[in-house]
Amino acid sequence: MSLSKILGTRALSVVLAIAFCFGLDAFVTGQLNEYVVRLVMLAGLYVTLSVSLNLINGITGQFSIGHAAFYMVGAYSAGIVSNAIYKTQPLAAPAYMIISMLIGAVFAAIAGLIVGMPSLRLKGDYLAIVTLGFGEIIRIIVLNQNQWGGSYGYAIAPKYQAGWLIWLLAIICIATCRNLLKSAHGLAFLAVREDEIAAQAMGVNVTKTKVVAFIVGAAFAGAAGALFGHMESFVNPDLFKMEVSFLVLTMVVLGGSGSITGSVLAGATLFILPELPRIVSFKMSLGLLLSVLLGIGVLVWMNRKFLEKYHEPDKVKRTLVVAGANIGLVVLAIVVGKLLNNVPVFGTTNYDANKIRYMILAVVLLVIMLLKPTGLLGHHEFSWDWVKRVLNRNKTGEASA
Amino acid sequence: MDLVLHSVGGLSLDFSTLPQQLVNGLVVGAIYALIALGYTMVYGVLRLINFAHGEVFMLGAYTALLSSWVMGFTPDAISKAFKADQPLTSSPLNLVIMLLVAMAVCAIIGAIIEFFAYRPMRNQSRIAALITAIGVSLFLQYAGQLFLPANPPPSISQEVNPYQKVVSFVLSPAQMNAAGDVIKPQMDITVTVGKIVMLVTVVILMLALTYLVRYTKAGRAMRAASHDFDSASLMGINVNRVVTFTFMLGSALAGAGAMMLATFEGTAMHPFFGLQPGVKAFVAAVLGGIGNIPGAVLGGLLMGLAETLVTWIGFSQYKDAVAFVILILILLVRPGGLLGSNKVEKV
Repeated sequence: MSLSKILGTRALSVVLAIAFCFGLDAFVTGQLNEYVVRLVMLAGLYVTLSVSLNLINGITGQFSIGHAAFYMVGAYSAGIVSNAIYKTQPLAAPAYMIISMLIGAVFAAIAGLIVGMPSLRLKGDYLAIVTLGFGEIIRIIVLNQNQWGGSYGYAIAPKYQAGWLIWLLAIICIATCRNLLKSAHGLAFLAVREDEIAAQAMGVNVTKTKVVAFIVGAAFAGAAGALFGHMESFVNPDLFKMEVSFLVLTMVVLGGSGSITGSVLAGATLFILPELPRIVSFKMSLGLLLSVLLGIGVLVWMNRKFLEKYHEPDKVKRTLVVAGANIGLVVLAIVVGKLLNNVPVFGTTNYDANKIRYMILAVVLLVIMLLKPTGLLGHHEFSWDWVKRVLNRNKTGEASA
Repeated sequence: MDLVLHSVGGLSLDFSTLPQQLVNGLVVGAIYALIALGYTMVYGVLRLINFAHGEVFMLGAYTALLSSWVMGFTPDAISKAFKADQPLTSSPLNLVIMLLVAMAVCAIIGAIIEFFAYRPMRNQSRIAALITAIGVSLFLQYAGQLFLPANPPPSISQEVNPYQKVVSFVLSPAQMNAAGDVIKPQMDITVTVGKIVMLVTVVILMLALTYLVRYTKAGRAMRAASHDFDSASLMGINVNRVVTFTFMLGSALAGAGAMMLATFEGTAMHPFFGLQPGVKAFVAAVLGGIGNIPGAVLGGLLMGLAETLVTWIGFSQYKDAVAFVILILILLVRPGGLLGSNKVEKV
């Protein structure tokens, strides 16, 4: 690929990203529904969280389940500094946000260093437990700091809901991870994931690589935490419990550990999915939701196991059968859901999105692990080359990929 | 030497309550040990951290509650009988039935979880299995939140439970000066009968487990599988059956612990009831050396003692962090645990 082409796609990406942020801002300011605005912003934060955790779990192959702690460190540290500045020298709101993001990132990075240095000597499930433990310790320590409100919570002075900034952070996070992967550092991350001993033999400083990945991931989580703190203007330790870490972990696993694209998609989807019934004010209940989820599971399974073995030389016929089978399953899932709605337990309409969220989370996690443990996208990434290939394929009518 | 209220580094330590705290720690530790055995046995055989073990524990407590309701100790019946001044009294037989039902149901739940969630993951990476375990645990917790009652009334309530009777052992009587002021308070240990029953039951269960593991064929198969899973299967041991058996055994012990904690201690039940004991028991298993059965017992007792001692020193708000601090220290200093073999995990 020539330089001009690279610059071309790069420029296209940047323009699209900026357009997306501004478009989102226009959407958010034009939107009167406070709830939708909040959801759009939270989805952005979760995209940042899942992409940054993907850097640690998916790309470097470590297994951290304490990501909520860095999110928390970011929120609290940024809040404390902002409050101090707010008292002495009021600044313009965006200035606060920039300072907050930096402060949050720096403190979370320090926390990442403190947690990572000792624990990254461990592997696999032990590392998982230790990160979980550190996460809980940080939470319990903050919980017992009366100057920060303890369990009651901590008020953060300027309330500033910047949807564009949140999504800008998400895009910066995605771009950083993506560009990192093209650099020697990123290749070192991948090498550590694939084979630690071989990486070491090739001159990769394994410990340093792991710690760097951990710190970068933590820093982005911290920056997201800072924005979250200002968005809510009130945080308490209960917002950063283990479940948050598990939610982010599920996003990474669902999207495919190691795929940035997967983390982004799964992050946004898994966050918004449980809220959908409320947005569209559609009388959708748990039964319907569960059946659709199960339907997705069966769809993945059917397309993978059954249709792989379905050989039909006639392309039109094959497409029709595949499409028909898929549509039929979706319809079946909806019908089952409608029937389930009549069961009192499933037919609840006034449900707590948080309860259902984690229930769905658990089901998604189990279904994905049992059917496709590599996640929906595996290690695949979105790329302009892929777009081009798809477009060309349609033009020439060649279905063989 | 005056043993009361020493001030050490700004902390006031009341030594007169120390024996009491140690006994409390021992009882809590015994329950942790019981749960830790499940973690350690499963890890020994499958090298899997069964995150859902705490949830099996939670379901055990609910099962015990349900079985007591079936036996006629419903909240309504209890309060009616209490108002009529003829409180219902539970017989030891009721408690034994509750214990056995909780153990049996937990064993079945454990086997089901293993069959549907862990068996398909057997050939996947350990991380994949761990994620599945987290999934099962979350699923049971939130399904519990949707379908189980939170904070149901205790199964056999305090009024009718003869095991709430208090027994006191005086270690040293109070000393008074001539004016009648107490210069040294009475030092005693107060335990409920329930706690004593609990300790005895734990000891009996542990002896039974030891017998099972050491002297029976199933136990020998289990030890073989935990020593070398693949070779064991080559030697004609039905490893699938061993794994199921291990899960059932561990889950049954958790069920027993849950029944006793819910009945004798009257701990409030909720769908997240298993989370804290589960995590602490896991730490206990790691502390003693995961995969090592005596280690789990030692670790459990140490965990219980550590927790009550932290409360005694005056840091009760950090009680739940102690487990994690111990965990991190033990993994960094001696990853094999106190009684475990100390080999570094190879890739």
